[in-house]
Amino acid sequence: MSKKVITSLILILITITLLIIAQNNLDSFSLRILNLCGIYVIFAVSMNLINGFTGQLALGHAGFIAVGAYSYSLLVMDPQLKEMNFFLKPLIAPLNTVHWPFLPALILAGLMAALAGFLVGAPALRLRGDYLAIATLGFGEIIRIIFTNTQSITNGSLGLKGIPAPDKFLFFSMKNSLMWWVWIAAIITVIFHFLLIDSSYGRAFKAIREDEKAAQAMGIALFKHKVMAMVISSFFAGIGGALLASLIGTIDPLMFRFLLTFNILLIVVVGGMGSISGSIISAISITILMEVLRALDQGFMGLPALPGLRMVVFALLLMSVVLFYPKGLMGNEELSWNKLMNLLKKPLLLKEVKK
Amino acid sequence: MMFRKRNALILLVTFLILSLIVAGCGGNKKEEPKKEDTETSEVIKIGVFEPMTNANAAGGAMEVEGIQLANDLYPEVLGKKIKLVIADNKSDKVEAANAVTRLVEKEKVVAIIGSWGSSFSMAAGPIVKENKIPAVAASATNPLVTKGNDYYFRVCFIDPFQGKVMANYAFNQIGAKKAAIIKEVSNDYAVGLAKFFSDEFVKLTGDPKSIVANVDYQTNDQEFSAQLQAAAQANPDVIFAPGNFTESALIIKQAREQGIDIPIIGGDTWEAPEFLQIGGEAVEGAVFSTFFTSEVPITKESEKFLAEYRKKYNEEPSSVAALGYDAYLVIRAAIEKAGSTDPVKIRDEIAKTKDFVGAAGIITLDENGDAVKSAVIKKVENGKFVYQATVEPSK
Repeated sequence: MSKKVITSLILILITITLLIIAQNNLDSFSLRILNLCGIYVIFAVSMNLINGFTGQLALGHAGFIAVGAYSYSLLVMDPQLKEMNFFLKPLIAPLNTVHWPFLPALILAGLMAALAGFLVGAPALRLRGDYLAIATLGFGEIIRIIFTNTQSITNGSLGLKGIPAPDKFLFFSMKNSLMWWVWIAAIITVIFHFLLIDSSYGRAFKAIREDEKAAQAMGIALFKHKVMAMVISSFFAGIGGALLASLIGTIDPLMFRFLLTFNILLIVVVGGMGSISGSIISAISITILMEVLRALDQGFMGLPALPGLRMVVFALLLMSVVLFYPKGLMGNEELSWNKLMNLLKKPLLLKEVKK
Repeated sequence: MMFRKRNALILLVTFLILSLIVAGCGGNKKEEPKKEDTETSEVIKIGVFEPMTNANAAGGAMEVEGIQLANDLYPEVLGKKIKLVIADNKSDKVEAANAVTRLVEKEKVVAIIGSWGSSFSMAAGPIVKENKIPAVAASATNPLVTKGNDYYFRVCFIDPFQGKVMANYAFNQIGAKKAAIIKEVSNDYAVGLAKFFSDEFVKLTGDPKSIVANVDYQTNDQEFSAQLQAAAQANPDVIFAPGNFTESALIIKQAREQGIDIPIIGGDTWEAPEFLQIGGEAVEGAVFSTFFTSEVPITKESEKFLAEYRKKYNEEPSSVAALGYDAYLVIRAAIEKAGSTDPVKIRDEIAKTKDFVGAAGIITLDENGDAVKSAVIKKVENGKFVYQATVEPSK
């Protein structure tokens, strides 16, 4: 076993131990934030694949998340619940009776999002740079507007309510099974992306990012690889969307405005375009920070309660990150065991040199 | 190749270890003693979650004004002070769920008021239900908010009644036999209202084809000539256009510019200063239904509310402010009747609310937790909203 594998195993075990501790000690508010962290990790890492690693500025993520969230919700809600939700226009035929268990619905949600990713990516990825950004942004909005108008499938702007959360994790029924699903999905997403980036495909993605012409000259099929990155990215976006739907329990098309895409893009940029560990760190810290700063809204150290103050402070924090780390917290480097060790060793080495 | 296989194997092993751990710790979770005894604490906390920033901040702010006024006038119950804990939901569903969980878990509130915007209230629904904390929405009109949720109530009437009121107005007052609908399709409120209007209108006229056109537009649209053409060509007697005030004002303006002088009627969202500013002369004569009027006090409580509101904020109150005020009063009365701060007992008392005199009318909650109360019809005259009539709910 290589050193790398051992370190990643250790990291996974640490995460799981922390989750067990969390499950037994945290209240439901903190658990909700923890789940949200996991979901944002999935969003950020998957968006980083197309934006950071392949270098294609695609801004349709919210659309794929919506596809995942809706596919999942329509599959797992029981027929009675659907009847209650669709009181204006009934749900169309095959969907109104289906009632799937959690895992198949989750996977199908990912696949539907991947399909949407393919349908959007195939035409849009022929464009480059700003044009790609505009086209994908447009497609993302189109997905949302379709969902608003297809009332007999998505319940339109009324949204869906009562989306059940899973009550079991694999075969074990427990109280916080959603937390386990979210974090196992997040861990799998992260491992998958690490393996993908290290494979020949990943190197091809990076080559495309660095210089498309040179990559093409080296025999990389540009279009194929771009579409592949897009499809994989939207698959995980769909999974994340499904988990988000079951965390909140209700969805409507307005949730998936381009603002959501920008929130995720913000996480990716703060973490570093092209750094998976950067995305993880920034997804978790930004999600937690937003909630910690809520204390500011409710009056703080003698200041009167002033709603919106936390957004001001949040913006200041973001600005300082961008000023001091122009390439994001991690740049395009990964957090590795060696680096951490070096960081620890440095002061020791310096001391030795001084002697 | 070897390397990859080994990786896969390692993954599998990790996964197995993981499931073992999960299995091990799944069973022995202890039920910790939850919720300290709130009865002994000195203040009673009522949580308020409203959009205070971003897109819907204006609506949220008006509602909070009403709630705060109510708190100023009635600061105590059961000899204890009532403290409002206000949380911002940033006009965002995810944030709304976070904010409510925080109110329930960290602040230990006994009841919750909010939120402006049905979708935020819906996000809070499962949380209040699970934690058995009653919530009262002030102005959320989507029927799904209270449907199937014993812990969610509201003090406003819901869209079916408003749709009925406007259909009756169109049929009886305007004498319309054919109606066209132009609705804001991305707005749950408008979609619901349009549906209930057409159901009632068809029933009144007895003609299934009495809705001659049904066209949609999106939030933030600026140009409505296509929709107006489609509606006008069907030659209706009245156009029902539920939607946001900006878009609705533009629709009426563009209709008049195109020479379409069919009466256009709408719902409570039109009652905003922007509607008059954008519409200008074109919106003269526009008729809509709403919850409340500041011209004619509906109840004794309205008089008090109007006087105090004008004194405190120096402006005319909006209907959502009155509804926020009522939501607070309903909860306070329920706490008083329950004689305790046990959320479940408060919930039972809220559910029993009957003929409660609020600022925005007399409130009786039906079995779904929706208020049955009168509606007010207003008309734009000389650049002002003028009270026309009060419509009582019919059973």
